[in-house]
Amino acid sequence: MNKNFKPKITLFHCINTFSDGASLPIAAEVDCELQSVKLPCSSMVKDVFLLRSFESGSDATVVFICPEGECRYVEGNIRAKKRVKRVKDLLDEIGLDGRRLSIFNISSGDEAAAVQNIQKAISDLADLGPNPAV
Amino acid sequence: MIVGEQKPLAEIKKTVAPYKKLLILGCGTCVKTCFAGGEDEVATLTSALRLTLKKDGKEIEIEELTIERQCEDEFIQEAAEAIARNDAVLSLACGAGVQDIARRFDKVPVLPGVNTTFIGVLEKQGLFTEECVGCGDCELATFGGICPIARCSKRLLNGPCGGSKDGKCEIDPDIDCAWQLIIDRLKTLGQLDNLRNYIPPKDWRSSNAGGPRKLVREDHII
Repeated sequence: MNKNFKPKITLFHCINTFSDGASLPIAAEVDCELQSVKLPCSSMVKDVFLLRSFESGSDATVVFICPEGECRYVEGNIRAKKRVKRVKDLLDEIGLDGRRLSIFNISSGDEAAAVQNIQKAISDLADLGPNPAV
Repeated sequence: MIVGEQKPLAEIKKTVAPYKKLLILGCGTCVKTCFAGGEDEVATLTSALRLTLKKDGKEIEIEELTIERQCEDEFIQEAAEAIARNDAVLSLACGAGVQDIARRFDKVPVLPGVNTTFIGVLEKQGLFTEECVGCGDCELATFGGICPIARCSKRLLNGPCGGSKDGKCEIDPDIDCAWQLIIDRLKTLGQLDNLRNYIPPKDWRSSNAGGPRKLVREDHII
């Protein structure tokens, strides 16, 4: 990966995982540009929102959902997971590679896990490089 | 409702390749319900097309619009200005909608973005099943409201084939045996005697085997 490449990551997260993903300490720890979008429930993350994050220049997009069985709205996290799977397939069809989109279960307020997962998304970009549709 | 599914992105990409300005036109009725061509699907497809074309170093101008129905003129007229602004229309309606748009705008190429698959129902969220083949001579009263033509793999009209197992079809075990359903239902209704009557071979001339069909309602024509 080009050393000058500073990845842009978009984070969609349920407000029940973090009240505000922008306050995550990731930016200080890793050299990336993080934009976060908070949602009342992760199930609100529509296909088009995920795609538009890539249209807006995101190199990778990450979705944080509550752990299985802990969704405040019962099945919002399951819906989000299925939607992400569909969009990953669509990204493969588009030619962007579905690996640019990832989803993780995060317990409420677990910043360490959040940072670790975003770091994983960044390290996956070592293979993928910058978003080719920018 | 009419059930359809969106064509693969690669096929759509190839179809729209000659055009610089494209209108993606959704339909807010049947294909919206089956997640193939409503407002959300128009938005998703627009974004996906823009991304894949941009990745290839190409760009086209895409306009999005969804009207209530593409099979009725009064709704189609709402799209007239948008259609006039673009080189082509990618319609996410069923085949009837695509053709109705084409009929009314004879100088604009109208391209299909959806494969129309069947007349069916939303059995449960995300599951659509075929229930009617539009044969033009409905016999559901005899069969307790379950159509053996649409739902029996062998389209048998005079009783089960004998191959079903545990109520599932021997052709495809994911499908309920229509004749099991018919018999269960007629038992519940106390109408099992319906099956004592021999059903003669069906006259398929009322279906599309008899050529394109037309329904004329003189009382509505001025």
